[in-house]
Amino acid sequence: MSSSIPPDGEAISHFVSQTPFDPQGVEKLSPEQEKVYFASQLKLMWWKFRKHRAAVWSGIFLLLIYLSILISEFLAPYSLERRDVRAIYMPPQGIHLFHEGSFVGPFVYGYDFKLNMQTLKREYVPNTNDVQPLRFFCRGDSYRFWGMVESDLHLVCPAEDGYFYLLGTDRLGRDVLSRIIYGTRISLTIGLIGITVSFLLGISIGGMAGYYGGWIDHVVQRIIEVLQSLPSIPLWLALAAIMPVTWSPIVVYFGITIILGLIDWTGLARAVRSKLLSLREEEYVVAAELMGASPPRVIFRHLIPGFMSHLIASATITIPTMILGETALSFLGLGLRPPVTSWGVLLNEAQNINVVALYPWLILPVVPVILVILAFNFLGDGLRDAADPYHSA
Amino acid sequence: MTTFISRVWGLAAMAAAATATLVSATFAEEPPSLKDAVESGQLPPMEQRLPDVPRVIDMAALGKTNGTYGGRLRMLMADAKDIRMMTIYGYSRLVGFNEKLEIVPDILESFEVEEGRIFTFKVRPGHRWSDGAPFTAEDFRYSWEDVETNEALSRGGASAVMMVDGEAPQFEVIDDLTVRFTWSKPNPQFLPSLAGASPNYIVQPAHYLKQFHEKYATAEDLAERVRQNSSRDWVALHTVKARAYRPENPDLPTLEPWMNTTPPPAERFIFKRNPYFHRVDGEGRQLPYLDEVYLGISSADIIPAKTGTGDSDLQARYLRFDNFTFLKQSSEQHKFDVKLWKDGTGSQVAYLPNLNTNDAVWRDLFRDVRFRRALSLAIHREEINQQFYFGLAQPASNSVLDGSPLYKPQYAQAWSEYDPDKANAMLDEIGLTRGPDGVRRLSDGRRAEIIIEMAGGTEETDVTQLVTEYWGAIGIKVFPRAMQLDNMRRRFLSGETMMSVWSGLNVGLATPDMPPEELAPVSSVQGIWPKWGQHLETNGMAGETIDVPEVAKLAALFQDWRVSSTTAERTTIWDEMLNIFTDQVYTIGTVNGVLQPVVVRNTLKNVPDEGIYAFAPVAFFGVYMPDTFWFDKE
Repeated sequence: MSSSIPPDGEAISHFVSQTPFDPQGVEKLSPEQEKVYFASQLKLMWWKFRKHRAAVWSGIFLLLIYLSILISEFLAPYSLERRDVRAIYMPPQGIHLFHEGSFVGPFVYGYDFKLNMQTLKREYVPNTNDVQPLRFFCRGDSYRFWGMVESDLHLVCPAEDGYFYLLGTDRLGRDVLSRIIYGTRISLTIGLIGITVSFLLGISIGGMAGYYGGWIDHVVQRIIEVLQSLPSIPLWLALAAIMPVTWSPIVVYFGITIILGLIDWTGLARAVRSKLLSLREEEYVVAAELMGASPPRVIFRHLIPGFMSHLIASATITIPTMILGETALSFLGLGLRPPVTSWGVLLNEAQNINVVALYPWLILPVVPVILVILAFNFLGDGLRDAADPYHSA
Repeated sequence: MTTFISRVWGLAAMAAAATATLVSATFAEEPPSLKDAVESGQLPPMEQRLPDVPRVIDMAALGKTNGTYGGRLRMLMADAKDIRMMTIYGYSRLVGFNEKLEIVPDILESFEVEEGRIFTFKVRPGHRWSDGAPFTAEDFRYSWEDVETNEALSRGGASAVMMVDGEAPQFEVIDDLTVRFTWSKPNPQFLPSLAGASPNYIVQPAHYLKQFHEKYATAEDLAERVRQNSSRDWVALHTVKARAYRPENPDLPTLEPWMNTTPPPAERFIFKRNPYFHRVDGEGRQLPYLDEVYLGISSADIIPAKTGTGDSDLQARYLRFDNFTFLKQSSEQHKFDVKLWKDGTGSQVAYLPNLNTNDAVWRDLFRDVRFRRALSLAIHREEINQQFYFGLAQPASNSVLDGSPLYKPQYAQAWSEYDPDKANAMLDEIGLTRGPDGVRRLSDGRRAEIIIEMAGGTEETDVTQLVTEYWGAIGIKVFPRAMQLDNMRRRFLSGETMMSVWSGLNVGLATPDMPPEELAPVSSVQGIWPKWGQHLETNGMAGETIDVPEVAKLAALFQDWRVSSTTAERTTIWDEMLNIFTDQVYTIGTVNGVLQPVVVRNTLKNVPDEGIYAFAPVAFFGVYMPDTFWFDKE
């Protein structure tokens, strides 16, 4: 806009310079400097992120665990439906390498089973003569891989006619490890689907409110206030209750993710709105508007990238709340129901005095819950730091 | 005489005490907790508090020992409504079951039955309510004439057991201590109803309740009392004040061994000894031995945990079989003993197809005996037994237990073997063909999906999980659904429920003299045939008429029982009903005779090692007489 000012009384002509912008026009940069100063925002973020070791390791951990849900059937030693009447409440079996001083390879000791009729307890005593070497890449319970391919290949299986319960079994004689592995699939994806719903709603509604302002903003603000003032647990209760029981557990699962998403978007919408309110006053937005860009183009091309990093960070913080939300709902018996297995369902089954006093291994599903939530929080922390690469702490 | 109020009676009793001449040598010392009151003259001495002829409990004959006074018994309950348990455990009845399940006089001195239709009751002379007022024929008269047949207080008329073929009894007061109920036909239900865990109350403390009755209180007084209690009217006030089964009114005089002293709502209820209780031990000590019973209200989920840490002296309610191991483990540290009693219900978990469900296709299917039998045959009862009950229960249909005089093996075995092939064949025969997904299709093409509604705990859920698999294997898909008990009752009466889960017959230990009411439609709270039950309950005003011949036969047999006069006759009727009931598989039983853990403080004596734990006929602890339990202080 550096062209000469027209004489009095004439309109300012609409002028757009076609000459490409030369960043080195003022000062020539050395290649080393160029590397830093010309680095894309993404690159800067990555550099910054790499410095946050906990975040990097958390990211790798989460990546692995998300990859694992693609092959849960293969990783789990047993199928989900497998019940073993001979192994009810069997305690975890340790993996050993050496038997009586000689190397055998990974194996487990079998258990001697006794029904103690005095205390009515199933007593399992490790039998150190019963060596059951584990098999790898072996044939076990059959399953339909991704619901399509019939297969029976497992990463690890018990010895022929043996058993392998690394984390013990529950009251129906089901393998806790396999159930946790299958539960991972549900518990981790419920976060993703929920977050997608919540982001779509949050960005578009918050974006509209922030960009247009005025009465739209007012209406949206009031809706958000109403939604946020509803106590969440009773609301979940009501929403979970209206889902018909005849729905298949998978549909119920989707229903719950959508419910979680429908409730969760308000916080994000507020953040988006306030960001937009401040960003739309920026000069580059005014410039884009003057150049005739339409509102969607302004929002999605110019405004959203301006705080994309913020969105990513808030997503990583929101996913664990979604996972916890599912766990809490299922723990209360309102969320997922057996036979769908999630961490929350497993924990729901572990909530009684017998488990605490006699079968403590059934509480193990809290371990993955804690690990995943921690990992997401570290990752989110790292991303938030990295999201503002020009700011040095 | 009947116009005296309680305080006057207390004074009268004291006057009697002053003029009393000799203290009989057969009476033992006063309970220490009452000694002060007796010495200061607030209470008359024991021989004046007891009836002239108390009921003497021969401890040795019951395998018990004479005890000493004192102590507080702590128990845990999950709901303030559970204070009714004290009425059940106390089990002080006009006539009651003894341990051999015979009906014997308890509060009454004697009773006489002629032709099964004329009942003459004789009250113990000198028997007093817990406030010291005499208990006389007037209390019977008041209950019958002023409450039960009072149009305002009993809008629906007298209760069903009092009516034989629509006919009410003729009530007579023979003398101050003797009353008679006469029907023109036999009423075999009458005595068992008086001996019930939830008894038919034909006696009410007239001297206390008259102040709330329109007929006896002056209009101004009554209006004032109604206002003070913020009741709707005198009817509501009387009903609340007279509630004896759930003893929420601490002022209501009682004949039970302990009386409530805490008005609800409360987190703990303290029951104190009734100083006028009518039973004594062989050495003349007035029962109960225990001074106080303390009910702590907690949550059902944590009662097993609290019991395990020694918070209860006597606990069976809210404990389940699978808590045994945990309880046994902590029993030494916290000084209690875990006894195993036998559960007295006909089946631990039973499935009740609703023959009155709204869905026409399902209704026809549930009414098809082949379908019910197929469902029963598909259940692997021995696996359930091994899995949840250590093989200590009995796989059986929902029927009477081995200990009942009516037991026959064929009832327990009726359609209760595991035979999925036969079950599949039967379903094929009905024409339920399997779809490509393995689920059978109904006649209108829908998938055969049953929603099972339940209001119970994890035990029902677990067993149902196995049943879901068993029925899934024969092509019937099951969806369990948990809900609240009240909601569930409403739903099955309206026909929305397809199938519900309950425990089996309450009277697993039935004798022929107990009414076979659970085997026939009698009430709208029956999950199998709520609408037929309602029809009979309301004399045809609501519900539906029975249109299945076998059920009509059961209803007719029950009517026959209601007018039968001899035990032999009743035995025949029971046999026939059990035969139809188990052969038709109206309820699908799983296992019975499950063991019930009973936690007993080490120092608490006279609790039997073996017993039956059931609501009816033994009233849980009631028949084993908790008033004879005592704490050994050494």
